[in-house]
Amino acid sequence: MLINLLRTHRWVRLSLSGLSVVLLLGGVGLVGYPFFTNAWQGRIQTQLDDQLVSPELQQAYKEGKVETGDSLTRIRIPALDVDVVVVEGITPSALRAGAGHYPQTALPCELGNVAIAGHRTTYGRPFGNLDQLKAGDTIDLITPVGACQYKISKAPFVTPPTELGVIQPTDNKTVTLTTCHPKGSAAQRLIVQATWVQDIKAA
Amino acid sequence: MRLFRRTGAIALSALVVSTFLVTPAAAEEVVTRPETFVATASARALYLELLGIKVSAGTSGIEITSAPSAKATGAGLLLASGTVSTVETTAAGQQKAPPKACVLNIDPPLLNLLGLQTACGEARVDSTTGAPQAFAKGEVLGLTLGGAQLLAILQPVLDALVPVLDQTLGSVTGLLQPLLGPLLQPLLGTLDLNAPVSSLLDRLDEVTALANVTVGTSTSEGASSATAITSTAIARGGEINLLPGLAVGGAPLLQIIVGSSKATSSFDRGAARSTPSFDAAIARVRSPLLGLDLPIALNAPLDLNLGILRLQVSLGAGRTITNADGSVGAVADGVSIALTTPLGSIILQLAHAESGIGGQGRLVAQQQVVEPVAQLAKTGGDPWLPMVGFVLLLAAFTTRRLVVARPGGDSRPVDH
Repeated sequence: MLINLLRTHRWVRLSLSGLSVVLLLGGVGLVGYPFFTNAWQGRIQTQLDDQLVSPELQQAYKEGKVETGDSLTRIRIPALDVDVVVVEGITPSALRAGAGHYPQTALPCELGNVAIAGHRTTYGRPFGNLDQLKAGDTIDLITPVGACQYKISKAPFVTPPTELGVIQPTDNKTVTLTTCHPKGSAAQRLIVQATWVQDIKAA
Repeated sequence: MRLFRRTGAIALSALVVSTFLVTPAAAEEVVTRPETFVATASARALYLELLGIKVSAGTSGIEITSAPSAKATGAGLLLASGTVSTVETTAAGQQKAPPKACVLNIDPPLLNLLGLQTACGEARVDSTTGAPQAFAKGEVLGLTLGGAQLLAILQPVLDALVPVLDQTLGSVTGLLQPLLGPLLQPLLGTLDLNAPVSSLLDRLDEVTALANVTVGTSTSEGASSATAITSTAIARGGEINLLPGLAVGGAPLLQIIVGSSKATSSFDRGAARSTPSFDAAIARVRSPLLGLDLPIALNAPLDLNLGILRLQVSLGAGRTITNADGSVGAVADGVSIALTTPLGSIILQLAHAESGIGGQGRLVAQQQVVEPVAQLAKTGGDPWLPMVGFVLLLAAFTTRRLVVARPGGDSRPVDH
């Protein structure tokens, strides 16, 4: 009967045809979402690589005027084969770069707690395997004016999203990495904390 | 089916492109950069340099900045420490005014007849309102001849003479008043033209002295108001004021100045623009009561090369300077004669004044705001999106099958 209705009413057929197109587009878009974000993040990182070594950014960094979305530092985690540029800010648009620096926290390699958030499942998922880190692993931060190395002091741990204590200032040089947990969910946060070990030569 | 595929491909491309073109969001608000300025002024009444030996007398200098800070130095004789007064403030809410530093200071006047200051330096600063002010004065000689007693002695004589003089002069000025009144009145102020002598004598009550004589006086002043910052330097070689206070506004009956220079630089805080100006004269004669202001000046400086000698003469001349960064300066000389020889320079300056100012207005700019976070950054989630995508794809496929299905279960596409 439904088939007959479709045969006899052209407008019904056209409407269904249009609906199927919309459904197809929506489906492709949603299925491909992670791939799109990864491609987008890769493109942004290419631009951020160039920006990080530019004299303009170096000057802005020295003056503390790095704007949201601009390169701030490079983060390297050898144990996870992570090597990405971290931008200033944690707005959704800034985090399309993959990782962003909480602007309320200390600058990399400076006294205090440097907090960095990174995507775990999309936008290049730089912190996708953060849970695999262990005490003793190192984190390198390479800024426009220097570089330093931190050593993870304890195993990654999970907190509620509202646990802001992990990004509060510290009396010594520390770095805190945050990402969503479990993978694919924003219900909790996975935290990694490391303590400054030494300044290093930027490579 | 072909239409279906084409439409799908186009829309898919649009979706991908739009995803890449989303511009970053930025929280912005208006912020201001503080205003900055530096204003300076310096003046010296007398300066002599003879083959490396330098003598300065009656010098003053000030500097005020947006810090806020203010400093001032006044000296009767620059090398004589007892005649130098220096004061400085480097924070808001301060006021400093040390006593004058003089070799001799008879003030108030002795027996109300003679006041005398020699080689005096004076300086004061004030930043109580957050707007820095500075003042400095240097003076070689100041002489005040008091007159109250003399006028009292003469009073009976004046009382007898005044009515007669009033009647005589009053009839003349009364006749002239309709013709010259509008012209004279602004000059004479409240002077009654029908009784000019008695009216003038009334004015004598306002006279503070018979005469003031100063030699080698310079003042430097920096002032800041809500609308402007101003630095002013004034130097005078010598000055005689007869009956100060007689004319409206406390001006003297007659003022004679030898060597006069004034340099002013001002900074308009609203427009963030600086302006210099100067006024210089070899000599100047003024009488506000008579509407007289006669400067004597040779505005064009002379610069002569005489073989191994170079002679530079500036008589009642000055200049202004505007730099590329917007700062300005002004220089004025009453008399300046400089002779450069192979052995050194011989310089004589009478009334030299300089002022300068540079500033940068407040800047209103867009700046990103660091807002406190309510929770740790969300960097994951939405795992259902791909799943929903699969559901939508399935629904699309099913819908399409319905559209192309034939009655009786044949789902082959219909040929059009």
